[in-house]
Amino acid sequence: MFYALLIGILAAAAAPLLFRAIGRRVVVPMVLIALLLFVYYCTFLPQVLQGQNLVEQYSWVPELGINLQFRMDGLSLLFALLISFFGALVMLYASGYLHNDRLLGRFYLYLTLFMTAMLGLVTSDNIFCLFISWELTSISSYLLIGFKQADKNARTAAWQALLVTGLGGLALMAGLILISISADSYTFSGLTEQRQLVQQHIFYLPAVILVLVGCFTKSAQFPFHFWLPNAMAAPTPVSAYLHSATMVKAGIYLLARLNPVLAGPDVWHYALMAAGGITAVLGAVLALQHTDLKAILAYTTISALGLLVTMLGLGSEYAVKAMLVFLLAHALYKGTLFLVTGCIDHSTGTRDLQKLHHLGPGMKYNGWAASLAALSMAGVFPFIGFVGKELLYESTLESLLLLAVNFIAGVAFVAVAIIIGFRVFWRKATDKTQLQHKAGFKLYFPPLVLAGIGLLLGVLVSSVPSPLLQQGARAVLADETAKLKLSLWHGFTPVLGLSVLTIIAGMLVYSFLPAIHTRVTALQPVYKYGPNAVYHKLFEQFLVKAKAFILWLQDGYLRSYVMYIMLFFCGLLLFTLQRDTPGINITDRIYQLQEVRLYELVVLFLVIAALVYLLGTRSRLTSIVVMGLIGYSAALFYILFGAPDVAITQFLIETLTVVIFVLLLHKLPAFTYLSHQFKKYKFIAISVLFGSLMTYVMLLVQQQAIPSELKKYYGKMSYMEAHGRNIVNVILVDFRGLDTLGEITVLAVAALGIFSLLRLNPEKGGKP
Amino acid sequence: MRTIIFATAIRYLTPVFLLFSVYILFRGHNHPGGGFIGGLIGSIAFVFHVLAHGSERTVNTYFQLTVFHQNRQENHSRTKYVWDLVGANTWKRIQPFKSASWQFYILRVRPAYMMATGLFIAVTSGVVGLLRGQSFMAAWWMEGEIPIIGAIGTPILFDTGVYLLVLGMVLKLVFTMSKE
Repeated sequence: MFYALLIGILAAAAAPLLFRAIGRRVVVPMVLIALLLFVYYCTFLPQVLQGQNLVEQYSWVPELGINLQFRMDGLSLLFALLISFFGALVMLYASGYLHNDRLLGRFYLYLTLFMTAMLGLVTSDNIFCLFISWELTSISSYLLIGFKQADKNARTAAWQALLVTGLGGLALMAGLILISISADSYTFSGLTEQRQLVQQHIFYLPAVILVLVGCFTKSAQFPFHFWLPNAMAAPTPVSAYLHSATMVKAGIYLLARLNPVLAGPDVWHYALMAAGGITAVLGAVLALQHTDLKAILAYTTISALGLLVTMLGLGSEYAVKAMLVFLLAHALYKGTLFLVTGCIDHSTGTRDLQKLHHLGPGMKYNGWAASLAALSMAGVFPFIGFVGKELLYESTLESLLLLAVNFIAGVAFVAVAIIIGFRVFWRKATDKTQLQHKAGFKLYFPPLVLAGIGLLLGVLVSSVPSPLLQQGARAVLADETAKLKLSLWHGFTPVLGLSVLTIIAGMLVYSFLPAIHTRVTALQPVYKYGPNAVYHKLFEQFLVKAKAFILWLQDGYLRSYVMYIMLFFCGLLLFTLQRDTPGINITDRIYQLQEVRLYELVVLFLVIAALVYLLGTRSRLTSIVVMGLIGYSAALFYILFGAPDVAITQFLIETLTVVIFVLLLHKLPAFTYLSHQFKKYKFIAISVLFGSLMTYVMLLVQQQAIPSELKKYYGKMSYMEAHGRNIVNVILVDFRGLDTLGEITVLAVAALGIFSLLRLNPEKGGKP
Repeated sequence: MRTIIFATAIRYLTPVFLLFSVYILFRGHNHPGGGFIGGLIGSIAFVFHVLAHGSERTVNTYFQLTVFHQNRQENHSRTKYVWDLVGANTWKRIQPFKSASWQFYILRVRPAYMMATGLFIAVTSGVVGLLRGQSFMAAWWMEGEIPIIGAIGTPILFDTGVYLLVLGMVLKLVFTMSKE
């Protein structure tokens, strides 16, 4: 499984190169790779259907529990097959949709990367492995939404999607870590075994909240649903693949995967049902208010995702079955409808419902695909959507509220299905929309295949998808005996009645649609308080506040920075000193003053005199020279106390400093006092504080001298092992060579930084 | 600063400084010295040259090599061809030959390259330990000693890297600042 992902990543990296080499024919290898992956995952079918879980493991960072662990069970396989098959079709479709794009190679790079990340997400067993894939899908989604980077809307939408799902991703990571701490396991299989521990742990509630935030942002649940309609700025193949069939289902996948671990306490079930229910109704209601085909589909997608979450929250065996069947059905029909919409957009140049009439004769293959998918969406016999809808109703029969949610969503689905499957294509109209060009093979073949599969799976529901879905249900319920027998025809039951009622209600709503569309403007004031508006307001405010904060902190005066650094350092020192409170005893060491020699006193006097003079002088040249004097005196001290290496370095550095100052001197403005008198006292206080603290620390260090073996060790080993008699240098280049390496790297970076600062000329608006 | 005495003295002293800095570099293992100090001394040599002659001339003298080149003409013997090349490149005897037939390349050492090379050498010296199956930066010494320089091992290589990096860094700063 790991090598399959590796192949995917390599293929992604190769896509732009291939595009450069063979041009638009790049589509052939990309489709083949997706198909290859599909066939590869198909080879798992026999084993998985027998109930085996295939495990694969590679060590990565075993100390932290981060390993490449993969596991294949029914749920993973269902998703993997869906992703790879859909991937192949979308790759084909994209080459027709973006046939003139110069950046087609890059598009394939992103798309293949996304497919690989998604496959990694659904096959990984390790939580960190899953998290990495999760973030990778967010990033590739960002890149794909913003693919038309010249469009401002696309950029904003991409940014929004990344921020929302990225923040959710962080919450998810925190949640997963909390769970793994409470069960001391880093794999989903391990967590499932330790479910008791997880559920009784004090971290259970925060972990659930964080995980839910992560999954809800990814799967566009209320109140995080707003990014999904905006993400429709992406090219349509992306919307079909990422934002209806696969990526937004990643949240559902993870909820299903964690269901055996976290389900049980009420909070899990109620949270899922509440969020899912609200989202389902909201999506259904909003879908009917729009006239943009893609927006309509986006909102019905949100509604469907809400239904899936609700079913997971219900958690019964029936509900899980319904969820899995509906998930499959939804991916098939919604993908088809998106692809058809993309095709309409491509051929006519508009997606507005009110401008599209009677497209059927011109695009008959697409029309058929749309009608087939719409029938599945409306839940008409014998499509797989019918089976899904029956199961949805059946599992919610006991709860009136959930039944109502299901019914509202179902009615909206029927209405939308009629719009796309009938009105746009086949309703006779006087002003027939003119096609700019005919849709080619690449544009009608993928939706037709998907729609056909929707019909085929419906007819063969009891034999083909049923065994795999059964294994999936077992994985979700962590119950090896769960049975899932699907059949197309249940007989004349109340549920069938509900289905028929839904279709009739949907037709009624459809007939009132023009009226609805004229009245929605009245609702505009409400949307000012919607989550999307809140997001934009927060975003703007964040930028404004951040700018104000940065301007306050980074005022551009060197002295402020020095002051911050010193104050922070003093704070740290004071904190440590008062915590460990080792007192110093000077009186015991007063006799040491007798050992002070005359020349030491002379140098000390020199330094003090220079300092006093430095404070008084107003000439830059003088202060530089005096500073040099102080530096040289310090070097003299080093020599007196037997540290020639340090002394030489100090001498050289002082010399260089003076020279460099002289080089820059003529560029500086005249020396003036700009600071207020009070500020000067502030600076004096800070420097006195810093100096006295350092003195205190020095005295402390001398008193608490720790007898160390290190000195002796270095002394002995430097000649024996390291072939050098100069211990200082041997330590620098050999014993502690890694430190030196780090230091010289810092030096190099600092030099580059200074270089760019010097070359930067803000007044001239120059670039570094 | 551009007094004649200083300028003339620096012209002769700079190579001496440089030689001394290399000496300090190799001396460092047994006596005070080392790559950092050596690099600083070397850079001070150039800094004084910059002060005396300006950075452009320093670059021309020490960091730039013009190589003259000419295709061999039919009627010239091989020996004369080589002699001409050597003459042109060492004494710059270009004038006698019609300069049209001469091409030249300018090889330039930029301080940033020196920094990069230094860092590269330092890291490489660490990798030697890795290649020999020990930890990163584990020292490796050659058998026997070489006169003047002494024992040769990866720490010396590392020190050379430090030397080059420090030299490159100071030069980069000084060249940048003395421009304009």
